[in-house]
Amino acid sequence: MVLAGPSGCGKSTLLRAVNGLIPHMYTGDYSGHVRVAGIDVKESTMRDLAQKVGFLFQNPENQIFMFTVERDIAFGLENLGIPRAEMRERVDEALHLLEIGDLALRAPHELSDGQKQRVALAGVLAMRPRLVILDEPTSLLDPKTAAELVQLVGRLRRELGTTFVVVEHRLDLLVRVADRIVVMNDGRKALEGTPEEVLFGDEAEAYGVTVPSVTKLQKMLAADGVLPPAGLLSPAELARVLEGRSTR
Amino acid sequence: MHQNGVKALDGVSLKIGSAETVAIVGENGAGKTTLVKHVTGLLKPTTGDVTVDGQNTRKTSTAQLSRKVGVAFQNPDHQLFSESVEEEMSFALRNFGFAPELVEQRVRWGLELFGLEEYRKSSPLVLSGGEKKRLTLACILAWDPEVVILDEPTVGQDSIQKERLAGTIRMLTSSGKTVVVVSHDIEFLWPIQPRVVVMKAGRVLGDGPAAILMQDKGLLDSARVAQPQLVEFFERLGERPHAPFADPLDARRWVEETRR
Amino acid sequence: MYHRLDPRVKLLISVLMFATTLLVRSLYELAGVLAFMVVVAAVAMVLRRVARTMMFTATFSVFIFVLNFIFTRNLETSLLYAARFVAIVVSTSLFFITTSPDELEQVMKTFRLPRDVVFAFVTAVRFIPVMFLDTIQIMDAQKSRGLELEKGNVLKRVRNMIPVLIPLVVNSVVRSGELAEAMESRAYGAVPKPTSLVEYRARTADRVVAVSAVVLFALAAYSFYFVFPARIL
Repeated sequence: MVLAGPSGCGKSTLLRAVNGLIPHMYTGDYSGHVRVAGIDVKESTMRDLAQKVGFLFQNPENQIFMFTVERDIAFGLENLGIPRAEMRERVDEALHLLEIGDLALRAPHELSDGQKQRVALAGVLAMRPRLVILDEPTSLLDPKTAAELVQLVGRLRRELGTTFVVVEHRLDLLVRVADRIVVMNDGRKALEGTPEEVLFGDEAEAYGVTVPSVTKLQKMLAADGVLPPAGLLSPAELARVLEGRSTR
Repeated sequence: MHQNGVKALDGVSLKIGSAETVAIVGENGAGKTTLVKHVTGLLKPTTGDVTVDGQNTRKTSTAQLSRKVGVAFQNPDHQLFSESVEEEMSFALRNFGFAPELVEQRVRWGLELFGLEEYRKSSPLVLSGGEKKRLTLACILAWDPEVVILDEPTVGQDSIQKERLAGTIRMLTSSGKTVVVVSHDIEFLWPIQPRVVVMKAGRVLGDGPAAILMQDKGLLDSARVAQPQLVEFFERLGERPHAPFADPLDARRWVEETRR
Repeated sequence: MYHRLDPRVKLLISVLMFATTLLVRSLYELAGVLAFMVVVAAVAMVLRRVARTMMFTATFSVFIFVLNFIFTRNLETSLLYAARFVAIVVSTSLFFITTSPDELEQVMKTFRLPRDVVFAFVTAVRFIPVMFLDTIQIMDAQKSRGLELEKGNVLKRVRNMIPVLIPLVVNSVVRSGELAEAMESRAYGAVPKPTSLVEYRARTADRVVAVSAVVLFALAAYSFYFVFPARIL
C-alpha cells in the first residue's frame, strides 16, 4: 500500500501511530483504536509491536547504530533477548534476503546510501515482522537504485508474504507494484483506491500527488474520446494504442 | 581531482555561458556535486583551471566567488542558524558588504517573493522542510548572483512544491540568470528543456540540448539515467513530429491535429 | 598479533605500563620503561602511529619541562616530569590505537557499566566520521554565503565559527531524536539483559600474556624500589 499526500498532511504521524511510537514514545490526546496483526497498539508494549511492525526510517544513517553491519542487524534481536544461535541464523537469513552477505563485517560509514538502506532493512526484517513501513525510502537514491529497491520490495512481498506500507512522493516507480494508494490531506484520508482509480481521478494532483506525465496525457486523451478506457498504460503501451487507432 | 586515490573528475572541460539553463544528470557518485563544488572553489582542480567571470578559483576565496555564484545545497539544515528568518536572510548580505538600507530592502523583497513574510521574526529552525528550502533559495536570490546552482532541489517535495520550484527557475531564466540544476528528477527537468550534461564516473559522457540527448538510449543507459516518459512515448510512435513533446499538453495537441 | 589479544589483556598491559611510569624515580628507569613501550609498540606494528601521538604531546611536554625548571632549577627533575608525561600518553594511546570500538564496548561491559552508558558511547563513536562529514558540508554551505573562515584575527575567526557550530549542534540534537525513534522501534530496553551476537572469550595465549605482564610489572616495581638506589624522586 502506498501512502501519499502533501507535506504536512499527517503521513508521518499516521505511520508512527501504527508502529507504536505513538503513544508509547510520543504522548498526547489519543482517541480511537489502531490494530495491527491482531493486537491493539495502545494496549501492547513496544516489545510486542516491534515483532509485528518494522519501520524503515527515511535517513538510513540515523538508524544504524553499531560499528559493523552484522551487529547492527542483530540489534533488535539482542534487545529481545534472542539466544545467540537463533540470532546468528536470523542475521544470516537477513543478509541473504537483502543480498548483502559480502558487507557483513563492514563499517556503516563506508557504505553507499543504497547499501546503508539495505542494511537498515535487513535489521528490520530480522525481527520477522508481518508489516513493514517504509518512510520515503527512495528520496536519497538515484532513479536506478530506487527502481532496484522497489523491485526488492516486490520480491520480498512475494517471498515472505509481508505487507508493505510505503510513503512516497515518487509514485511513478511504485505504481506497478502497489495494490492500493491512500492519499491523505490535513490529517484525514482524502482518496483511496487502486493506483488506476487514484491517478485517473481529478483530485490526485490537488493533493500533491505526482502524476506521471504519460498518465496525464492518457487522462486527457481519454477525456477527449480519443482513447478507449484502459488501465494504466506505460509510454510504450500508450503509443501502441494510439497507433492502433490511427491505422483504423 | 583525486579523492582516496580515485579520480573524482576526469578530463572535464565545460563552458557555461550567461543566461543558460543547464541540467547536470548522472547516477550517485558520477561526480555531479564534485563538479559543482569546483565552481565556487570549494574544491580546487589538480590540473587545469576553473574560471568564473574571468576570476580563477585558485586565486579567489569561495566567499568572494559566491557573490556571483549562489549555490543552494541539498540540505537546508546545514545552513540555518540565526535567531530569526530576517537575520538569516541578512547573513549573506552583510557578509557581502551590502549597506543596511539595501539589506532591509532585499530581505523584504525575498520574503515576499517566496511567501515567507509571516515567518519574518520566527526562528528558521521551526519551519517545515519545504519552507526551509524556500528560505535558503530566498537567501541566495537576495544577494542577486548572476549564476544560481541548485543541488537536488526536488528531493522530498510534493508536486505542488515542485510546480512552484519550476516557476522560480523559469523566472530566473527569463531575468537573464544562468541556472544550473543538479538533479535525478528527469521528469521535473524535462519540461524545462535545458542543456543537459550527462556524467558518469567523473567524466562527461554527453552535452547537448535535452530534446536531442534524451533520445540517445545508449548514452542514457550507460549513465544509468532514466529516459523521460514523454520521450519514450515519442520514440514508440510510428508517425511523429520532429522533436519530442515537452509536456503532455503539446502531445495532446499533436494527437488532435493528426487525427484530422 | 597484538591486536588479536583479548581487549581486557590489552587494557591490563596499558594500565601496568601506566603504573610503572608512576613508580619511576630516575631518568634511567624511565628510559628503560620508554624503551619497553617502544618495543611493545613495534611488536603491535603501530610504531608510526604511536610516534605521531608522541609528537602531538611534544609541545605540552616542553611546557611542563619549562615550568618545572623555572620552579625547581633542577634539570634532571624537570626532564623526568616532562618525559613521564610522554610515557603516560604513550601507554594510554597504545590501548586506544590497538583496540577497536567493538572491543572497547566489550571492556566496558566487563566492568559492568550500565547498558545505556555503553550504548551511548558506542553510538557516539560510530557517528564521529558522520559528524566530521557534516562539519565539512556545513562549512561549505556557509562559505557559499560569504563566510570567510580563513581570514581575520583570532577573535573574528572564533566568531565566524558560530554559523558552523550552531547547525552542527542542532543537527546532532535532531539526530538523537531520530536515533531514539529507531531504537524504540527495535525494542531497545525490552529485556533487562540483552543477548549478544559476538562474544569474547579469553584464550590460553591471552592468559599467558596477562600473567607475564603482571610478573614483569612486579619485577620492575621491585627493582625500582630495592635494586636501584633511589635517585631523583
